[in-house]
Amino acid sequence: MKAEAQALKGHLDALLLATLEDGPRHGYAIKEALRDGSGGRFDLPTGTVYPALHRLEAAGLISGSWSQADGRRRRSYRLTPAGERRLAGDRASWREFASTVTTLLEGAPWPTTT
Amino acid sequence: MADHDLIDDYLTRLARHLPADAVAELADGLAETYDRHRTGGRSGSAAATAAIAEFGEPDVVLAAFVRQAPGRRVALFLLGFGPVVGACWATLLISEHAWTWPVPAGLRLAFGLTLLAVVAALAYAATARTTYRRTRASAPGCLVLLLLDAGLLSTAVTTAPALHWPFVLAAAASLTRMTLTVRALPRLLA
Repeated sequence: MKAEAQALKGHLDALLLATLEDGPRHGYAIKEALRDGSGGRFDLPTGTVYPALHRLEAAGLISGSWSQADGRRRRSYRLTPAGERRLAGDRASWREFASTVTTLLEGAPWPTTT
Repeated sequence: MADHDLIDDYLTRLARHLPADAVAELADGLAETYDRHRTGGRSGSAAATAAIAEFGEPDVVLAAFVRQAPGRRVALFLLGFGPVVGACWATLLISEHAWTWPVPAGLRLAFGLTLLAVVAALAYAATARTTYRRTRASAPGCLVLLLLDAGLLSTAVTTAPALHWPFVLAAAASLTRMTLTVRALPRLLA
Protein backbone atom coordinates (compact mmCIF):
# COMPACT_ATOMS: atom_id res chain seq x y z
CA MET A 1 0.00 0.00 0.00
CA LYS A 2 1.32 3.42 -0.85
CA ALA A 3 1.84 5.83 2.03
CA GLU A 4 -0.86 8.10 0.62
CA ALA A 5 -3.33 5.28 1.01
CA GLN A 6 -3.33 5.94 4.75
CA ALA A 7 -5.19 9.13 3.86
CA LEU A 8 -8.01 6.93 2.62
CA LYS A 9 -9.02 6.00 6.13
CA GLY A 10 -12.43 7.45 6.78
CA HIS A 11 -12.96 8.27 3.12
CA LEU A 12 -12.74 4.86 1.49
CA ASP A 13 -16.48 4.24 1.51
CA ALA A 14 -17.26 7.52 -0.25
CA LEU A 15 -14.50 6.95 -2.80
CA LEU A 16 -15.73 3.43 -3.55
CA LEU A 17 -19.27 4.73 -3.97
CA ALA A 18 -17.99 7.47 -6.29
CA THR A 19 -16.36 4.91 -8.60
CA LEU A 20 -19.83 3.46 -9.21
CA GLU A 21 -21.50 6.74 -10.00
CA ASP A 22 -21.11 6.29 -13.75
CA GLY A 23 -22.47 2.76 -13.77
CA PRO A 24 -21.82 -0.78 -12.58
CA ARG A 25 -18.27 -2.09 -12.20
CA HIS A 26 -16.71 -5.28 -10.90
CA GLY A 27 -14.22 -5.35 -8.03
CA TYR A 28 -11.04 -5.13 -10.06
CA ALA A 29 -12.42 -2.30 -12.20
CA ILE A 30 -13.38 -0.40 -9.03
CA LYS A 31 -9.85 -0.74 -7.69
CA GLU A 32 -8.43 0.39 -11.03
CA ALA A 33 -10.78 3.39 -11.10
CA LEU A 34 -9.59 4.33 -7.61
CA ARG A 35 -5.95 4.04 -8.61
CA ASP A 36 -6.27 5.78 -11.98
CA GLY A 37 -8.54 8.49 -10.61
CA SER A 38 -5.99 9.33 -7.93
CA GLY A 39 -3.08 9.34 -10.35
CA GLY A 40 -1.75 6.16 -8.74
CA ARG A 41 -1.64 7.60 -5.22
CA PHE A 42 -4.41 5.41 -3.80
CA ASP A 43 -3.23 1.96 -4.81
CA LEU A 44 -4.78 -0.45 -2.34
CA PRO A 45 -3.99 -4.16 -2.36
CA THR A 46 -6.76 -5.35 -4.68
CA GLY A 47 -7.71 -8.21 -2.41
CA THR A 48 -8.64 -5.81 0.38
CA VAL A 49 -11.14 -3.90 -1.77
CA TYR A 50 -13.54 -6.85 -2.02
CA PRO A 51 -14.41 -7.10 1.70
CA ALA A 52 -15.02 -3.35 1.76
CA LEU A 53 -17.46 -3.80 -1.13
CA HIS A 54 -19.17 -6.64 0.72
CA ARG A 55 -19.59 -4.38 3.75
CA LEU A 56 -21.13 -1.63 1.60
CA GLU A 57 -23.45 -4.20 0.07
CA ALA A 58 -24.51 -5.45 3.49
CA ALA A 59 -25.26 -1.85 4.43
CA GLY A 60 -27.54 -1.54 1.39
CA LEU A 61 -25.43 1.15 -0.27
CA ILE A 62 -24.50 -0.96 -3.30
CA SER A 63 -25.97 -4.11 -4.80
CA GLY A 64 -24.06 -6.91 -6.45
CA SER A 65 -25.03 -9.36 -9.16
CA TRP A 66 -23.27 -12.29 -10.79
CA SER A 67 -22.66 -12.72 -14.49
CA GLN A 68 -20.36 -14.70 -16.76
CA ALA A 69 -17.30 -13.06 -18.36
CA ASP A 70 -14.49 -14.83 -20.21
CA GLY A 71 -15.75 -18.13 -18.83
CA ARG A 72 -15.50 -16.91 -15.25
CA ARG A 73 -18.07 -15.88 -12.64
CA ARG A 74 -17.98 -12.12 -12.22
CA ARG A 75 -19.69 -10.00 -9.59
CA SER A 76 -20.55 -6.45 -10.53
CA TYR A 77 -21.78 -3.72 -8.24
CA ARG A 78 -24.07 -0.74 -8.73
CA LEU A 79 -25.17 2.09 -6.48
CA THR A 80 -28.51 1.72 -4.74
CA PRO A 81 -30.73 4.75 -4.09
CA ALA A 82 -29.44 4.71 -0.50
CA GLY A 83 -25.88 4.67 -1.85
CA GLU A 84 -26.61 7.64 -4.09
CA ARG A 85 -27.96 9.58 -1.12
CA ARG A 86 -24.94 8.64 0.99
CA LEU A 87 -22.56 9.69 -1.76
CA ALA A 88 -24.29 13.04 -2.17
CA GLY A 89 -24.13 13.62 1.58
CA ASP A 90 -20.47 12.60 1.83
CA ARG A 91 -19.59 14.82 -1.11
CA ALA A 92 -21.31 17.85 0.44
CA SER A 93 -19.61 17.21 3.78
CA TRP A 94 -16.22 16.87 2.13
CA ARG A 95 -16.65 20.09 0.15
CA GLU A 96 -17.51 21.99 3.30
CA PHE A 97 -14.62 20.46 5.23
CA ALA A 98 -12.10 21.00 2.42
CA SER A 99 -13.27 24.57 1.92
CA THR A 100 -12.84 25.34 5.61
CA VAL A 101 -9.37 23.81 5.81
CA THR A 102 -8.29 25.57 2.63
CA THR A 103 -9.48 28.88 3.99
CA LEU A 104 -7.56 28.36 7.22
CA LEU A 105 -4.38 27.17 5.57
CA GLU A 106 -4.14 29.55 2.67
CA GLY A 107 -6.48 32.45 2.90
CA ALA A 108 -7.94 34.32 5.78
CA PRO A 109 -5.85 35.87 8.55
CA TRP A 110 -6.22 34.31 12.00
CA PRO A 111 -8.46 36.28 14.37
CA THR A 112 -6.73 38.18 17.15
CA THR A 113 -7.28 36.83 20.65
CA THR A 114 -6.46 39.85 22.80
CA MET B 1 -9.24 -19.06 -13.19
CA ALA B 2 -5.90 -17.83 -14.55
CA ASP B 3 -3.88 -20.71 -15.85
CA HIS B 4 -0.86 -20.53 -13.59
CA ASP B 5 0.22 -22.62 -10.60
CA LEU B 6 1.19 -19.59 -8.51
CA ILE B 7 -2.29 -18.16 -8.80
CA ASP B 8 -3.90 -21.54 -8.22
CA ASP B 9 -1.84 -21.97 -5.04
CA TYR B 10 -2.74 -18.46 -3.91
CA LEU B 11 -6.46 -19.09 -4.38
CA THR B 12 -6.25 -22.51 -2.78
CA ARG B 13 -4.78 -20.95 0.36
CA LEU B 14 -7.62 -18.43 0.53
CA ALA B 15 -10.26 -21.03 -0.32
CA ARG B 16 -9.40 -22.90 2.87
CA HIS B 17 -10.79 -19.99 4.85
CA LEU B 18 -13.13 -17.85 2.76
CA PRO B 19 -16.64 -18.50 1.37
CA ALA B 20 -16.76 -19.90 -2.18
CA ASP B 21 -18.37 -16.74 -3.60
CA ALA B 22 -15.59 -14.55 -2.21
CA VAL B 23 -12.96 -16.85 -3.72
CA ALA B 24 -14.75 -16.79 -7.09
CA GLU B 25 -14.71 -13.00 -7.02
CA LEU B 26 -11.02 -12.92 -6.13
CA ALA B 27 -10.28 -15.48 -8.86
CA ASP B 28 -11.96 -13.28 -11.47
CA GLY B 29 -10.01 -10.21 -10.39
CA LEU B 30 -6.74 -12.12 -10.26
CA ALA B 31 -7.32 -13.59 -13.70
CA GLU B 32 -7.98 -10.15 -15.12
CA THR B 33 -4.86 -8.76 -13.48
CA TYR B 34 -2.83 -11.70 -14.78
CA ASP B 35 -4.18 -11.24 -18.31
CA ARG B 36 -3.33 -7.54 -18.23
CA HIS B 37 0.27 -8.29 -17.28
CA ARG B 38 0.50 -10.98 -19.94
CA THR B 39 -0.82 -8.55 -22.52
CA GLY B 40 1.85 -6.14 -21.35
CA GLY B 41 4.49 -8.64 -22.42
CA ARG B 42 5.40 -10.40 -19.17
CA SER B 43 6.06 -14.11 -18.96
CA GLY B 44 3.51 -16.35 -17.24
CA SER B 45 5.46 -16.51 -13.98
CA ALA B 46 6.23 -12.80 -13.96
CA ALA B 47 2.60 -11.96 -14.69
CA ALA B 48 1.36 -14.28 -11.92
CA THR B 49 3.86 -12.85 -9.43
CA ALA B 50 2.88 -9.29 -10.34
CA ALA B 51 -0.84 -10.09 -10.09
CA ILE B 52 -0.39 -11.62 -6.64
CA ALA B 53 1.69 -8.64 -5.52
CA GLU B 54 -1.14 -6.33 -6.61
CA PHE B 55 -3.68 -8.35 -4.68
CA GLY B 56 -1.67 -8.55 -1.47
CA GLU B 57 -0.32 -11.44 0.56
CA PRO B 58 -2.96 -14.04 1.48
CA ASP B 59 -2.70 -13.11 5.15
CA VAL B 60 -3.33 -9.44 4.34
CA VAL B 61 -6.36 -10.29 2.20
CA LEU B 62 -7.66 -12.74 4.77
CA ALA B 63 -7.27 -10.21 7.58
CA ALA B 64 -9.26 -7.66 5.54
CA PHE B 65 -12.07 -10.16 4.99
CA VAL B 66 -12.10 -11.12 8.67
CA ARG B 67 -12.09 -7.47 9.79
CA GLN B 68 -15.17 -6.75 7.70
CA ALA B 69 -16.91 -10.11 8.12
CA PRO B 70 -20.61 -9.73 9.02
CA GLY B 71 -20.19 -12.25 11.85
CA ARG B 72 -17.44 -10.22 13.49
CA ARG B 73 -19.22 -6.89 13.10
CA VAL B 74 -22.50 -8.25 14.50
CA ALA B 75 -20.63 -9.86 17.41
CA LEU B 76 -18.93 -6.56 18.23
CA PHE B 77 -22.27 -4.74 18.15
CA LEU B 78 -24.02 -7.29 20.37
CA LEU B 79 -21.16 -7.30 22.87
CA GLY B 80 -21.36 -3.52 23.04
CA PHE B 81 -25.16 -3.47 23.32
CA GLY B 82 -25.26 -6.36 25.83
CA PRO B 83 -24.45 -4.32 28.94
CA VAL B 84 -27.26 -1.86 28.07
CA VAL B 85 -29.79 -4.68 27.82
CA GLY B 86 -28.34 -6.26 30.95
CA ALA B 87 -28.68 -3.01 32.91
CA CYS B 88 -32.33 -2.68 31.84
CA TRP B 89 -33.10 -6.21 32.96
CA ALA B 90 -31.18 -5.79 36.21
CA THR B 91 -33.34 -2.76 36.98
CA LEU B 92 -36.48 -4.80 36.40
CA LEU B 93 -35.35 -7.90 38.27
CA ILE B 94 -34.21 -5.92 41.31
CA SER B 95 -37.27 -3.66 41.42
CA GLU B 96 -39.61 -6.67 41.13
CA HIS B 97 -37.64 -8.80 43.62
CA ALA B 98 -37.17 -11.45 40.99
CA TRP B 99 -35.51 -13.81 43.48
CA THR B 100 -39.02 -14.42 44.87
CA TRP B 101 -40.39 -15.53 41.48
CA PRO B 102 -41.32 -19.22 41.27
CA VAL B 103 -38.61 -20.07 38.80
CA PRO B 104 -36.74 -23.35 39.50
CA ALA B 105 -33.09 -22.94 40.52
CA GLY B 106 -32.04 -25.32 37.76
CA LEU B 107 -33.66 -23.11 35.16
CA ARG B 108 -31.95 -20.01 36.53
CA LEU B 109 -28.61 -21.81 36.44
CA ALA B 110 -29.21 -23.04 32.89
CA PHE B 111 -30.10 -19.51 31.79
CA GLY B 112 -26.95 -18.08 33.32
CA LEU B 113 -24.68 -20.71 31.83
CA THR B 114 -26.28 -20.37 28.40
CA LEU B 115 -25.84 -16.60 28.53
CA LEU B 116 -22.17 -17.08 29.38
CA ALA B 117 -21.80 -19.47 26.45
CA VAL B 118 -23.39 -16.90 24.12
CA VAL B 119 -21.03 -14.18 25.33
CA ALA B 120 -18.09 -16.54 24.85
CA ALA B 121 -19.20 -17.36 21.29
CA LEU B 122 -19.63 -13.68 20.42
CA ALA B 123 -16.26 -12.79 21.97
CA TYR B 124 -14.65 -15.61 20.00
CA ALA B 125 -16.09 -14.18 16.76
CA ALA B 126 -15.36 -10.56 17.65
CA THR B 127 -11.69 -11.20 18.38
CA ALA B 128 -11.00 -13.05 15.12
CA ARG B 129 -8.04 -11.60 13.25
CA THR B 130 -7.03 -13.96 10.46
CA THR B 131 -9.38 -16.92 10.93
CA TYR B 132 -12.58 -16.30 9.00
CA ARG B 133 -14.15 -19.47 10.38
CA ARG B 134 -14.13 -17.93 13.85
CA THR B 135 -16.47 -15.15 12.73
CA ARG B 136 -19.14 -17.78 12.03
CA ALA B 137 -19.43 -18.46 15.76
CA SER B 138 -21.67 -15.42 16.03
CA ALA B 139 -24.50 -17.13 14.08
CA PRO B 140 -25.31 -19.79 16.72
CA GLY B 141 -24.64 -17.15 19.37
CA CYS B 142 -27.29 -14.91 17.81
CA LEU B 143 -29.82 -17.73 17.53
CA VAL B 144 -29.43 -18.70 21.18
CA LEU B 145 -29.53 -15.05 22.23
CA LEU B 146 -32.89 -14.72 20.47
CA LEU B 147 -34.21 -17.66 22.47
CA LEU B 148 -32.85 -16.22 25.72
CA ASP B 149 -34.46 -12.85 25.06
CA ALA B 150 -37.77 -14.51 24.19
CA GLY B 151 -37.60 -16.71 27.27
CA LEU B 152 -36.77 -13.80 29.54
CA LEU B 153 -39.62 -11.73 28.13
CA SER B 154 -42.19 -14.49 28.46
CA THR B 155 -41.04 -15.29 32.00
CA ALA B 156 -41.33 -11.65 33.04
CA VAL B 157 -44.78 -11.31 31.48
CA THR B 158 -46.15 -14.41 33.17
CA THR B 159 -44.33 -14.15 36.49
CA ALA B 160 -43.91 -10.52 37.46
CA PRO B 161 -46.70 -9.50 39.85
CA ALA B 162 -46.94 -6.03 38.31
CA LEU B 163 -45.54 -4.58 35.13
CA HIS B 164 -44.18 -1.06 35.66
CA TRP B 165 -41.77 1.15 33.74
CA PRO B 166 -38.76 -1.11 34.39
CA PHE B 167 -40.55 -3.83 32.45
CA VAL B 168 -41.24 -1.49 29.55
CA LEU B 169 -37.56 -0.51 29.55
CA ALA B 170 -36.30 -4.10 29.66
CA ALA B 171 -38.82 -5.29 27.08
CA ALA B 172 -37.90 -2.45 24.73
CA ALA B 173 -34.19 -3.29 25.09
CA SER B 174 -34.74 -6.97 24.39
CA LEU B 175 -37.13 -6.36 21.51
CA THR B 176 -34.68 -3.92 19.94
CA ARG B 177 -31.90 -6.47 20.22
CA MET B 178 -34.13 -9.22 18.86
CA THR B 179 -35.14 -7.09 15.88
CA LEU B 180 -31.56 -6.17 15.02
CA THR B 181 -30.44 -9.78 15.47
CA VAL B 182 -33.18 -11.14 13.20
CA ARG B 183 -32.24 -8.58 10.54
CA ALA B 184 -28.59 -9.60 10.73
CA LEU B 185 -29.17 -13.37 10.72
CA PRO B 186 -29.59 -13.86 6.95
CA ARG B 187 -26.13 -12.38 6.38
CA LEU B 188 -24.64 -14.54 9.10
CA LEU B 189 -26.22 -17.73 7.80
CA ALA B 190 -25.43 -17.04 4.11
